[in-house]
Amino acid sequence: MIRRRLTLLSLLAGLMMAAGAWPARADALQDIKSKGVLVVGVKADYPPFGYRAPNGDIIGIEPDLARDVAKRLGVKVQFVPVVAANRMQFLEQGKIDLLIATMSDTPDRARVVAIVKPDYYASGYNLMLPKSIRITAWDQLKGKPVCAIQGAFYNKQVAEKFGAQVIAFTGVAEALTAMKQGRCVGFLYDDTAIEGQMLRPEWSAYAMPLPSQDAQPWGLAVRMGEKSFYDFMAKTVADWHKTGLILKLETKYGIPQHSKFAEEMHKKYE
Amino acid sequence: MTARVLPVMPPLPKVLRRDAPLPRLRLSLWHGVALAGFVVLTAMAADAATEPAPRAGVLAVLVRWSPLLLRGFGFNILISFMAMAIGTVLGAFLGLGLVSLRRPARALAWVLTEFFRNAPWLVLLFFMIYMLPFRIQIGPLSIALPDWVKAVIGLGLPVMANVAEVMRGAVQSIHPGQWEAAESLGFSRNQQLWQIILPQCIKRMIPPWMNLYAILVMGTTLASIVGVNDVVTLAGQVQAAEGGRTDLLVPLYGYVLLLFFIYCYPIARLTQRLERRYAVRI
Amino acid sequence: MHGIAAWFRHLHETTGINLTIAYDPFDRARFLHGLLVTLELSVITIVGSVLVGLIGAWLQGARLVWTRRIVQVYIQLFRNTPPLVQMFFFYFGLSSVLPTMKNSFGIQEPLVSGFGWACISLIFFAGAFNVEIFRSGIEAIPSSTIEAAEALGYTRLQTYLNVVLPLATRVCLPALTNNLVNLIKTTTLAYAIAVPELLYVSNQIWSDSVNVPEMMVVLLVIYTALVGLLVAAMKAWERALRRPGLGT
Repeated sequence: MIRRRLTLLSLLAGLMMAAGAWPARADALQDIKSKGVLVVGVKADYPPFGYRAPNGDIIGIEPDLARDVAKRLGVKVQFVPVVAANRMQFLEQGKIDLLIATMSDTPDRARVVAIVKPDYYASGYNLMLPKSIRITAWDQLKGKPVCAIQGAFYNKQVAEKFGAQVIAFTGVAEALTAMKQGRCVGFLYDDTAIEGQMLRPEWSAYAMPLPSQDAQPWGLAVRMGEKSFYDFMAKTVADWHKTGLILKLETKYGIPQHSKFAEEMHKKYE
Repeated sequence: MTARVLPVMPPLPKVLRRDAPLPRLRLSLWHGVALAGFVVLTAMAADAATEPAPRAGVLAVLVRWSPLLLRGFGFNILISFMAMAIGTVLGAFLGLGLVSLRRPARALAWVLTEFFRNAPWLVLLFFMIYMLPFRIQIGPLSIALPDWVKAVIGLGLPVMANVAEVMRGAVQSIHPGQWEAAESLGFSRNQQLWQIILPQCIKRMIPPWMNLYAILVMGTTLASIVGVNDVVTLAGQVQAAEGGRTDLLVPLYGYVLLLFFIYCYPIARLTQRLERRYAVRI
Repeated sequence: MHGIAAWFRHLHETTGINLTIAYDPFDRARFLHGLLVTLELSVITIVGSVLVGLIGAWLQGARLVWTRRIVQVYIQLFRNTPPLVQMFFFYFGLSSVLPTMKNSFGIQEPLVSGFGWACISLIFFAGAFNVEIFRSGIEAIPSSTIEAAEALGYTRLQTYLNVVLPLATRVCLPALTNNLVNLIKTTTLAYAIAVPELLYVSNQIWSDSVNVPEMMVVLLVIYTALVGLLVAAMKAWERALRRPGLGT
């Protein structure tokens, strides 16, 4: 019986470790134009960058950017809702052609997907805290529970550097509900997302007093090896900064103050 | 020797005796009505506890988002049908391997069955989502594998293992006299299996197979954890779209529970009835 | 210890197989903690659900009609609804209506933690199945045995504890083993309410270190081992309880 189980386990281990790569794609840009559809991965739970309207459609700053890309290519756009934990895999596996999903441009990620330069936005991570809690420095988080999202790259950082106890949920809705119920002192997320949440009246009892950490530019990504699509997107992003499209979208979706990064990039490319 | 008068003990209450029937609820509708009533009551209580305007009443919110939630539930049902179909077909083959006379076939079938029966369904789902490629190239044909199809495959695998077990159990429950009689009549092993034994097995397999389907329907909610937009993810997104109101939680999840209950309870009752009807009377 | 860690680091550099849990102390600590939490969840829910099953099977033989009805309603509700949604209902839904208490950080926190609700939810879920299993075991006892106990002067409770349970246990052990195996597999659902059990920490590790296939294999191996352990223990118990001539 034990020998049978050991054979089973070793067979399995061998099979899985041999899980290999799948064949590389030919040319995404040609594929998109011939298909007539650009499939874009966006967030569906991250207002105002990507969230659901009551009729089920996904709207927000990033879907609008995706629509602009599709217009430039002369094709239709199709959205696939993604979360941090699966967005890179979707792109790798070809489920989406383009990824515009609040993804920070880090070297680890640049090894897996091709992140387009220039970056289109920037944010750091921050903590949404109830106004009743007096926390003035990140170090005061030692040992305290914070709600976060599975797969965010800064979870490990916050746990290691500040000693906070990170409780990660699969979606923003669950994390916010857990925080409201008092299971953690605050919600660890991108500062832009927290700003977006606090625009809503029901979060008036919450604030973001701590300084944003680790401001990382956001990059949109295409699959590795897609040279022509990469060049096209690089030109598109530069054009966005030139025309100030991102600043216009910030205003459209109610962000009270333009982000420093967007303004700097607009000036740079003007 | 003096006789001692022993005290007389009253007989045990009827329900502990074997001849008393088990309590069976006649009206299957009452459960659903009770659950529906619970959902409506909590909705109304939440309504009463909320301040008046500008927040919409909880019942109104549920009604407004019902089309989306029902579509999500329909998606769950679709996933369950497909996973059951795949699992049954594959499980039938695997079951044949389990009862095979050839040792290597039996061993391989045993390995696969044990593996997929012992693996947690959620881990298998994650495995399929991460490991399966998006597209499969078979010559000129390229088949797309969207997320929910991977979830269907991921759910079909444990179903396959369980169907194989059910089949093995059914074949082994056939009286050995049937095999011997068939052999004495000159049937080959294959003919015995396909013409005599398996037709008798089918009736025995139906109740556990339906039970497995009910478990599978409830397992489709696992797909929400790996990112498929089923009714549970939609419930979370509805709550977020309504501003993250905590008073919506009990009604929303109660609503989802109600949907599953309305679908699964009739299946459970039908299974019970079939079990009684097909019970083997020796 | 350092030798093993060094070997795994070497393995990563040469073949690309990245088992950070072997050589990175932070990941290793997380992983072992997750394994511990899974073991705790399994043990607590197994014990709890067996107790619920025993009590429920006892109550199903009660004299009051409403007691029997309530037990039936409980069974049908928990058997015909998804355990994941039950868990969400308890953790998010019921939590918000139960009273809260002020904790050391100065906020009102719910009384029951995520781990607590996971245990409660799983105990009720598996308990519902156990009630049916124990009930079928009780039904398998010949009525003549019960009547004999009655003739000997046993009260209802004494009959249940000394005559019915020992016999019923032997009959329903296979089905009970099956249900407990399912329970161990269902503990992975606690992932959804952020209980740091094995799957949750593995997800965190593979998000940080991008080593999904390796972690998957480790996970599958561990769960196969856990289930194998439980099945071996139950089979040993079955063999120890076997009485010649009883059952098949």
